[in-house]
Amino acid sequence: MTSFQAARRAEALAATFPPLLVAAQRVAATVLQGVHGRRRPGSGDAFWQFRPFVQGDLTSRIDWRQSAKSDRAYVREREWAAAQTVFLWRDASASMRWHSPLAQEEKRTRAELLLLALAALLHRGGERVQLLGVARPRQVSAAGSLEWLAELLAEGVAGEDNVLLSAPLPRHARVVLIGDFLAPLEEIKTVLTRLAGIPVTGHVLQVLDPAEMLLPYEGRVQFVGLEREGEMLVSRAEHLREAYQRRLRAQIDGLAELCAAAQMTVSVHRTSEPPQAALLGLYMALAGQ
Amino acid sequence: MSALFSLPVTFAAPWVLLALAALPVLWWLLRVTPPPPRRESFPAIRLLAGLASDEETAARTPWWLLALRILAAALIILGLAQPVLNAGNGIPGTGPVLLVIDDGWAAASEWPRVTEAANSVLAQLSRSGRNAALFLTAPAAEPGASFASPLVPASELRSRLAGLTPKPWPVDRSAAAEALRAWKGKVSAAVYFSDGLDTPNVRVFAEALAGLGPVVEIRPDPPKARVLLPPADEKGQLVVRVGQVPGTDTLPAQVLAETADGRSLAEVSAVFSQGGGEARAVLPLPPELRNTLSELVLKSAASAGGHWLLDERWRRRPVGLLAGDLAGAEAPLLGELYYVHRALAPYAELREGTLESLLEQPLSVLVLTDRVVNPGAEAERLDKWLQAGGVLIRFAGPRSAAHPDSFLPVALLQGDRALGGALSWSKPAHMAPFPANSPFAGLSVPEEVLVNRQVLADPAPDIAQHVWASLTDGTPLVTFAARGAGKIVLFHVTANADWSNLPLSGLFVDMLRRLVALSAGIPAAQGNTMLAPAQTLDGFGQLGAPPPTATALAANAFGRTPVSPQHPPGLYGPENNRQALNLGGSISALAASAPVPGARIEPLGRVLPERALAPELIAAAVIVLALDFFVSLGLRGLLRLRRVATLAALLAVCSFSAHAAEGAADKYPSLGIHLAYVITGDPQIDQISRMGLQGLSEYVNQRTAAELAEPVAVAPAQDDLSFYPLLYWPISTEAPPLSARALAALNDYMARGGIILIDTRGGGSGEDFNPGANAVLVSIGKVLNIPPLVPLTTDHVLARAFYLLREFPGRYTGSPVWVQRDQDRANDSVSPVIIGANDWAAAWAVDSEGRNVYAVIPGGARQRLLAYRFGVNLVMYALTGNYKGDQVHIPAILERLGQ
Repeated sequence: MTSFQAARRAEALAATFPPLLVAAQRVAATVLQGVHGRRRPGSGDAFWQFRPFVQGDLTSRIDWRQSAKSDRAYVREREWAAAQTVFLWRDASASMRWHSPLAQEEKRTRAELLLLALAALLHRGGERVQLLGVARPRQVSAAGSLEWLAELLAEGVAGEDNVLLSAPLPRHARVVLIGDFLAPLEEIKTVLTRLAGIPVTGHVLQVLDPAEMLLPYEGRVQFVGLEREGEMLVSRAEHLREAYQRRLRAQIDGLAELCAAAQMTVSVHRTSEPPQAALLGLYMALAGQ
Repeated sequence: MSALFSLPVTFAAPWVLLALAALPVLWWLLRVTPPPPRRESFPAIRLLAGLASDEETAARTPWWLLALRILAAALIILGLAQPVLNAGNGIPGTGPVLLVIDDGWAAASEWPRVTEAANSVLAQLSRSGRNAALFLTAPAAEPGASFASPLVPASELRSRLAGLTPKPWPVDRSAAAEALRAWKGKVSAAVYFSDGLDTPNVRVFAEALAGLGPVVEIRPDPPKARVLLPPADEKGQLVVRVGQVPGTDTLPAQVLAETADGRSLAEVSAVFSQGGGEARAVLPLPPELRNTLSELVLKSAASAGGHWLLDERWRRRPVGLLAGDLAGAEAPLLGELYYVHRALAPYAELREGTLESLLEQPLSVLVLTDRVVNPGAEAERLDKWLQAGGVLIRFAGPRSAAHPDSFLPVALLQGDRALGGALSWSKPAHMAPFPANSPFAGLSVPEEVLVNRQVLADPAPDIAQHVWASLTDGTPLVTFAARGAGKIVLFHVTANADWSNLPLSGLFVDMLRRLVALSAGIPAAQGNTMLAPAQTLDGFGQLGAPPPTATALAANAFGRTPVSPQHPPGLYGPENNRQALNLGGSISALAASAPVPGARIEPLGRVLPERALAPELIAAAVIVLALDFFVSLGLRGLLRLRRVATLAALLAVCSFSAHAAEGAADKYPSLGIHLAYVITGDPQIDQISRMGLQGLSEYVNQRTAAELAEPVAVAPAQDDLSFYPLLYWPISTEAPPLSARALAALNDYMARGGIILIDTRGGGSGEDFNPGANAVLVSIGKVLNIPPLVPLTTDHVLARAFYLLREFPGRYTGSPVWVQRDQDRANDSVSPVIIGANDWAAAWAVDSEGRNVYAVIPGGARQRLLAYRFGVNLVMYALTGNYKGDQVHIPAILERLGQ
């Protein structure tokens, strides 16, 4: 890739990512932050103890009100909210880059929005976040690095299923997987089995377009797959609706079974619904484990 | 080559119609082919796999859409078969065909239709591969050219036909019949395009034509040719005569009188009576204007017969003057010829000399004032001249009263009669109004004309027939008698102011002018001088260079020589000595010709032109296909119906609002400044008024800050006048008298600040153009509240409201314009009425293409410009009142302020 093309991409990135970020922060602000007390001093919001001022401390950290009660200067310490690394993955395949007239945005946009919003929430809780399936995987912890995450997501091209098969994950880590999970259940099962074997726990969020749930087409329709699955001519699309919905239900149920077997929770999100509900669900699922 | 369902349609490529048999197949194909599917990308296609529905039948295309597509296909097939409408009018036989065309002057008016019909015949012949020859019945302009062309394929004749024009001379059917008999070509049929007019030997020609084979005669039904016959000169008026085939048409013929520079000074319409072959109309032009005419033009027919060239004969009226007392004849105020000279000098060419020398030259009128004609050679010469058509005007006097000669219209009593004076009981006598049969009829007699002395006519029984003017007591004052083709007119008074004050009055001028107009014109060249053709008319009546066949014609042969290729109609002779040879001069009356015996007759108008239908059919197919396209889009849900509907609604609203805006001006005259004119009821005058005010409004809008809208016609009795600042009122002698309501409305209008411009349309240089208008004006003035008037001078505000004007011409110039006396302070000194006779509207008038319609008299761009400037001043005066009048006082006001 020439530097010129890189500059072009950076330009396009700069154009798209602030709204994404703002939306992510706005969504994150609606969810109340939980407490992860570690019972020792550290960075956190809750008061932990006063300790005498020692050489090397910043003067700005002196609690003047406490110090005024005696001859010594005290420093206020807060309880350390320990950060755990949460591994985030979103499906970046071509089938995610699609939305029907029934939805406002693509599945991938919604997935990345939820992912960033979750990252913002985790950062606010002091947790660390690492993206899977991006070109430059790296642990990120500071709250101000959301832009950095967004940039990584935007340039991420290495988002394939085998990332989850090969990525080095620490034991007992937490993963959050966001995707449409329309692949054959066997393929999904391979991935989940590997994750369960490490072992890691986490949450699976299935993002679906309303058209994928309802199949609202009528008449003579030629369906075209997005991942080279070929084409399919249907003379009366409305006649296929019930059979299709049965198959989709089977897929969703199969996924739920696989997740339960892998000690992971699962939920389904439609892109026509507001993202807050899904984010809250994600957050509660993570907090509950 | 077969007519389809007896419609006049044939196909140039009939084998293409076989494709129509394929339409049912097309129907089946269209029926089974489903409409194209919509393409939808769908990520979950894997879940759909294997769910293929059990019914795989194609969706049905609606039957009407199918019919639409079949129709488009049928249209294309029909179009490719090249159908031709009105082909096959049925020319008998299969061999070569002779096309005979009457291309004389009479064909000119129908020429486009003749060539169109001939073209369609040729097209039909060329389709069937037949040969044809052209035969023209009028002699060709090229010497030695034959009547017939050789037989060639019909398509090659079309270019020849396109180059044909009608000839300015009549067809020569006897020569054509000979040529036809001598023609060697073998034809199986003849098509004859006849002009329908009778000529000598038409029978012979018809038989020669019938001898060739079956004949189809295509002739105008009825023959429409019209011709200008020699104009008549009656009572000094030019009478236009138009001839046609009797009973063909009762539509009036419009005749224009045009000058050499193309201005038309008058237009008259001659009305044909039911079944009549000749229509007459008097050309209402004063003699001096008539003398500037160069031709009469029949408006409808562009043919050589529709033009009558006027040469010197219609203009030159030399007048010879001879006094009894040669010594004192020209003495100022006293001389015998002093008043006659001044009365006639502006209108006629005057000559003086001895009687012998005067009569040597051609002379129209001879004026003898108290001159006794000596018997003998002198009397003989004068008698010969009179017999040839001269007009002799004599004035009485002491000498002729004592010595009556043989050149008097009535016998005179010896001596003279004196009225008034110290030794008489009687009073000087007034003149009586002129009798209707007199050439002076219509002239008004001033009160102040008094006759003191006169010679008395012997009261013979038939005296009344010889009197053209008399005194109030019945004594003849002017008598006349015809002698041969000429006339003798005697004034029973002297030509100076000794016996009466008639020579001092304006009436004297008018009487002499009318007498001169009575006389016959004099051709410039005489005898057998050969006059070479200078300009000749072509078949459509356009003057141009003479054809090579034209030869010189003797001056005395004009009028006797028929028009022919050797002598085409036109002007002959040198520049200042032109004589005209006119087609109408050799035609006495038109008659319809008998049709060719045994021929099939087809009227010209009903021979419909041949027309190829392929372009229309293909265009219809394209439209149907476009319709199908949109319908298909609609069926597939791709057409945004709402958008189309919005667009259509928007268009409808726009057009409606435009309509609404148009109608507003008529309904609400207060929305703009409109000039208005009073409807007279005479459609021509009303049209001039409208066009005039239109032209003035445009001029004012261009030149000034005023924004005038369309002019408006008003009827004072019905319409509200209060919206119009200026009312133009042309006086028409035919208009009904004002109703009481109209009168009240006009008086109210003037009282409240409106301005009326009253135009009698006949004054100054246009004297006599609207006779009787002054009388109408007087009758209007009696009932309308017209304030005291003074002539418009350069000091008046109207002369300075926008331009500084010294004269105020319209179409005519020279007559005074009257406005309210300035001392009248009512209405801010703005004159409520302006009266003139210059026919301003005609000078302002423009037609729809912005051209000035009426020539100004005496003429010139300057007069037109001044007319418009007067109009601008008038509008400014009407809009601003005495504003400019106040400006005049500025120096005085400033001076007062300074002190």
